[in-house]
Amino acid sequence: MQWFDALVQGVLLGGMYAQYALGMALMFGVMKIVNVSHGDLVILLSLIGISLASKLGLGPFAVMAALVPLAVGLGWLLQKAVLNRVVGEDPLPSLIATFGLSLALQNLMLQIWSANSRSLPGGGLESRSLAFGGIHIGLLPVIVLVFAVALTWGLDLLLRRTRFGRALRAAASDVEAAAMTGINPRAVYASATAIAVGILGFAAVFQSLRSTVAPSDGGAQLIYAFEAVIIGGMGSVWGAFIGSMVLGVTQAIGFRIDPGFGVLAGHLVFLLVLATRPQGLFGRA
Amino acid sequence: MTDPVLSTHALVARYGDFQALYGVDFQIAEAEAVALIGANGAGKSTFLRAIMGLLPVAPDMVRLAGQPIGGTPTDRMVQKGIAIVPEGRRLFTGMSVEDNLRVAVDQAERLGRKGGWSLARLQQLFPILRDKARTPVQSLSGGQQQMVSIGRALLCQPRVLLCDEISLGLAPKVIREIYAALPEIRAQGTSVVLVEQDVGLAQSASDRLYCMLEGRVTLTGASGAVTREDIGRAYFGGSHAMV
Amino acid sequence: MVAISPDLPAVEVRRQTASGRMALLALALAVVALAAMPFWAKTGTIRMVLELCCYLAVAQMWNMLAGYAGLVSVGQQAFMGAAGYALFVLAQTFGVNPFLAIFLSLLVPAVLAVPCYLLLHRLDGPYFAIGTWVVAEVFRLVASNLSWVNAGAGMSLSVMKDYTGFQRNVAMSLLCALMVLVSIGGSYWFLRSRYGLALIAMRDNPVAAASQGVNVRRLRFMIYVAAAVGCGLVGAVYFMAQLRINPQAAFDPMWSNVAIFIVMVGGIASIEGVLIGTLIYFVADRWFGEYGASYFVVLGVMTVLVALYARGGIWGMISARWDAPWFPIRRHLILTGDKTP
Repeated sequence: MQWFDALVQGVLLGGMYAQYALGMALMFGVMKIVNVSHGDLVILLSLIGISLASKLGLGPFAVMAALVPLAVGLGWLLQKAVLNRVVGEDPLPSLIATFGLSLALQNLMLQIWSANSRSLPGGGLESRSLAFGGIHIGLLPVIVLVFAVALTWGLDLLLRRTRFGRALRAAASDVEAAAMTGINPRAVYASATAIAVGILGFAAVFQSLRSTVAPSDGGAQLIYAFEAVIIGGMGSVWGAFIGSMVLGVTQAIGFRIDPGFGVLAGHLVFLLVLATRPQGLFGRA
Repeated sequence: MTDPVLSTHALVARYGDFQALYGVDFQIAEAEAVALIGANGAGKSTFLRAIMGLLPVAPDMVRLAGQPIGGTPTDRMVQKGIAIVPEGRRLFTGMSVEDNLRVAVDQAERLGRKGGWSLARLQQLFPILRDKARTPVQSLSGGQQQMVSIGRALLCQPRVLLCDEISLGLAPKVIREIYAALPEIRAQGTSVVLVEQDVGLAQSASDRLYCMLEGRVTLTGASGAVTREDIGRAYFGGSHAMV
Repeated sequence: MVAISPDLPAVEVRRQTASGRMALLALALAVVALAAMPFWAKTGTIRMVLELCCYLAVAQMWNMLAGYAGLVSVGQQAFMGAAGYALFVLAQTFGVNPFLAIFLSLLVPAVLAVPCYLLLHRLDGPYFAIGTWVVAEVFRLVASNLSWVNAGAGMSLSVMKDYTGFQRNVAMSLLCALMVLVSIGGSYWFLRSRYGLALIAMRDNPVAAASQGVNVRRLRFMIYVAAAVGCGLVGAVYFMAQLRINPQAAFDPMWSNVAIFIVMVGGIASIEGVLIGTLIYFVADRWFGEYGASYFVVLGVMTVLVALYARGGIWGMISARWDAPWFPIRRHLILTGDKTP
């Protein structure tokens, strides 16, 4: 029963990670770029959300309604101002640029919000729970999981069924051939980053509702997103989703074994996947 | 000859420090088929890439119906009515045949390009595109992939279609099948530039031909009128290369 | 094949320049001055110089990885911490002479680098970088959970009390000289060797280098292991000077931040750039370090700007104007004028 409980908690935790991982999978798939400031953007959005809530007295879903468009705009700006100049064969410029951005963002947040941990008041939402035959499940983690499934499903549908999705997949496959077919790669890149960071708007609200956030937390979020994407296998949003579940469950079970072992267990499973199945659980060899 | 649809004027292009084209003058009229022949490394593919905006060139060096368009970003070239069947086909792997073609349909719609090509008409031209619509492109044969690549370019509704070695590596029967589509493409009013290794094929499929050597045009004339000797000299250069 | 014609002008291969000879002399003098520090510097100065040498060496290791081997790592702190811990365990737990233990501890990063590379090289460029960070995190978490290195609380190097202040200063000074000699001199020697030529060919175009018979994969692997050992040396020396080690400090990502800043701002793929970048960082750290966070915001923004607008960094701008390398690596063909017989 204890292990079943860990499994359930792990899946719920995976719902949180999926919201980080989707955007990273999308950006890497299309541009072969890893945005090192991915995690810092979650934290930045969280802190903005928390400040909005306390200044204007907004509830969590009102904060979400404000944060997601803001995140989309931030992603678009990131692409226009930074990433468009560093997209290319050489991975170094994009890594360095986003690395520098991460350093600047982290310390800027430290300056504005101090090093304290904060959280978003959920108006009682965070303490409500549902009971299923002896297991208590928090309502909030269930909502997070539902959003994660909906976002994954929606993104998958967008990629497979729409004009924009086809253009995105074409650009991901061969950007020059895509341009030869009339696709404007920069417009596609800007939309991809806007969507990727936009999803972080959801993640930011849930992250700050579920636990606390502090300016230096971004690195961990980046690593979890990255591990989920690699475990699941590149090239599919469902891969990133499943990878998030595997990571969440591993961490939850590791935590049951020893509280100091939770995060480490996740890393070890990541390394195990890398050693035995480098294309990821669902990637094509 | 009528006014050219597409022309280049003293076109030069370079890859970094390496100059690949030295002042190429070229023109093609509406519905005309022009072949471009030359040895490997003569600059044929570079020439097409330079037209397509994939290499930096000055605006005046490439003109479409007299308007300077050189160096326009590739996607805008498609909007203006130039499409390319690239060397090596360059299909979108991981996507089905139909999705590969629909990308072009989508973009033609988005860019407001209208023309006579539709998915249905292409499937008549190359029935394989219907039979294998759901198949991922990477599992097609070379000839079938080439048909997808040509179809994708045609769905951009081009005024000028640039074809980069579409016969390369294909069986003679398949090559005949592909070249058999040429008259129908031209009947649409589309001009076709054929970069071709097979000189005989190039001569028979085109109205005029250009021969390139080391980044320069060494011979040009009506395809039926140039002799094998002319071509031989223009192709390989040497002390008596210029005609 | 082209036959060598007797009409060809005579050429001479020049590999050294006047500026290069001066720089070599300066490097030799600097190493001697570092080694002689106990006779001219106070303990505080020696400690400061030691820190400077650590930055320099770590940055140069990162430069070899990212600038020449195309391996962008943000996790070199893994090897610094590993060697640091190895030193503490050997010297404190097993009573090995600490100055001998420094060199023995280098075996640990060397051995750990092999499986790390075998795992990580499967990841594509940018993913490789994040992978190295995960490895460093694994090391940190393992150290935090191991009771025989005193878990999260860390260890002290109290055996150093057995040595006088002067003895310690002599050791620090010699280690500073060694770090500079190994990182700068060693890299220079390596880059001028036949491996170096291959490396530069690889940097300019890995595909072409591979087709020229350069074993790109083996060379990358060698550099990764060498950089791990180099960073290990820095870690062991740095934490010996600190006298304390704990997982948080030992595997601090700050080292990657500093190395990346130094190399990118100074000028990637050049030894000169690393020297310039280290000086800038060191001076900035002394002057503006007290401003804490806002100072790091400026460093971050500068790194972004270099990546966007000036990939070659400061040395890139200098060498575009003046052709006077301090560490010439390229070979120049010089016409000697008269004809060969």
